[in-house]
Parts: sequence; structure tokens; C-alpha cells
Amino acid sequence: MASSAVAATPKKRSKRIPLTYVVALVPVAVALNIVGGQINTVLKLPTFLDMIGTAVVAIVLGPWWGALVGATTNIVSSFISGPIGLPFAVVNVVGALVWGYTIRWGWGKTFWGFALVNILVAFLCSVTAVPIYVFIFGGATGHFADMMTAAFLAMGQNLIVSVFSSNILVSLADKIISGFVALAIIEALPANLTQGIQLPKSEGIGKIVWIAAGIVVGVAIALIVTALQ
Amino acid sequence: MQKQEVEKKEITVGAKEGLGAGIVALGVVFLLLPSFSQKIADLDFIQSEAFGILTGAVLVMGFLTAVAGLAVILTKFDDQS
Repeated sequence: MASSAVAATPKKRSKRIPLTYVVALVPVAVALNIVGGQINTVLKLPTFLDMIGTAVVAIVLGPWWGALVGATTNIVSSFISGPIGLPFAVVNVVGALVWGYTIRWGWGKTFWGFALVNILVAFLCSVTAVPIYVFIFGGATGHFADMMTAAFLAMGQNLIVSVFSSNILVSLADKIISGFVALAIIEALPANLTQGIQLPKSEGIGKIVWIAAGIVVGVAIALIVTALQ
Repeated sequence: MQKQEVEKKEITVGAKEGLGAGIVALGVVFLLLPSFSQKIADLDFIQSEAFGILTGAVLVMGFLTAVAGLAVILTKFDDQS
């Protein structure tokens, strides 16, 4: 009786994680972010794709490990592709904190909840990025979104509204894609690493369908953004 | 017996180490900001001065450092081994 009660009790997630997991996962996540960012730059996509690794680590290991990945990504990429990326380290860190804390607070237990978490990440990242765009770079950094900013400015909007309008659209597509790709990666990680994380639960092919649907929604938003040019 | 010895040797990390690593990363960004502000100001399409870029970046990073400090205060490090 006692043994069956013990067996029925869900295994509590240990708050301490082996250092080997951190040593293995953090550099891979940084590399994933940098490769994603480079692909995005080369293909001139209406996204950023430099926060997939950040999302994975923030959700699996914790928000401040995600912050480490985010900051390291922008430090390394600023040496590879120019200094513009460094001030945006703060955006990557904010994304990590929002993903990490909201998932720990249980906001991402359902697929709709997880989608809302991604939308919240997109909004807060844009709120953080807009002052950097406007006050440091004067509204333009050479990204795809600059064309949209120019279009909004031509419509008579002021600079802050124009930059925010273009950035939130790009960020929304980017964070939804990043969040659901991260969810797919987390599903592929060893079970003892992801045990106890409050992520959407679904049996069999259901989860794959939800993840694919999330990515498709993100891509659709990106295509709409492109079509708006 | 052997398994227990192996488990004892395994180094683990928790919320405290995570916070520490995040704050170290913020510190490294702070260290790089002065030289990178000048590099950004030297770019053709940038109209801002290096000092303005540094000021803006430090303001934003300082806010995050304050958040990190709050996290240190509010986080319960009850997972220490």
C-alpha cells in the first residue's frame, strides 16, 4: 500500500542540476543562437532567430542561465559580425528572464498558455529594443524591419511609434517561431533533464501537431510582414 | 556503495549559481561597452556620439543589473546541497 502510494506520487524535480548539463547545454545554445542569427542575416529574413538557444536554456535550466546564454550570444556575435549586436544583449537577456520565469510560474502548461508566453516575450523584447533602436542607432540598424520603419515614417508616424510598430511585428513572428522550435528541441532532450518542467502535455502525435502549428503561425506572420513591404 | 560514491562526486548547480552566472555575463557586457560604443559611433550610418551610445547602453544595462539584484534578494536559495 505504502509502496503504491510512493509510486503514484509524481517525482519532484530536483532544483539542483548536474554541472555537466550546464557545461554541455550552454555553449550549444550560444552556437545555435549565433548560427540562427547568421542564417537570418544571410537570407535577410523578417525575423531574428537568435534566441532559440536562449529559450531552450531559460526553460530547461532556469532564467538566469538563459540570461548567460543571451548575453554570451551577443558578446560573441558582436566580435563576428560587428559591434551593433552588443547593445541588444539586453533584449536577449530580457527574453531569457521572461521565458524562464513564466514557465516556472506555470504560465506555459497549455499550448495556448505557451503561445501567450511567446507573445509576452515578443512584446517585452520590443519594449526593450525600441529605446536602443531609437536613442542609440537613430532608428536603423540595417535589419529587414528598417524598411517597415521607413514605411511607417512615410505614413506620418513619429520615429518611436514607427520603430515599435515594425519591431513588434518582426518580434512576434520571431518569438513564436523560436518558442515552438525550442519546445521541439526540449522534447528531444533526455527525460531526466526536462523532468518536472511545466510545459504543455499531449500524447502521441498531438504534441508534434501543436508544435508544427505554432511554427506555421510564426512563419505566416513573417510572410504577412514581408507582404506588407 | 560505489554508486553512492559516484553520486557524491557529481557537482551540481542551482539557482544561486545561475544568478551568479547571469550577473557575470552582465558584467562582461558592461566591460565591453566603452570600446564597442566607440566602434558603433565610427560606423557610417550612425549619427550618435560615442558618449551618448555609452550612456544609453549603460542606462538599459543598469536597469537589468538592478533586476538581478532584486532577484538575489527575492530568490529563496533553499536548494543548496
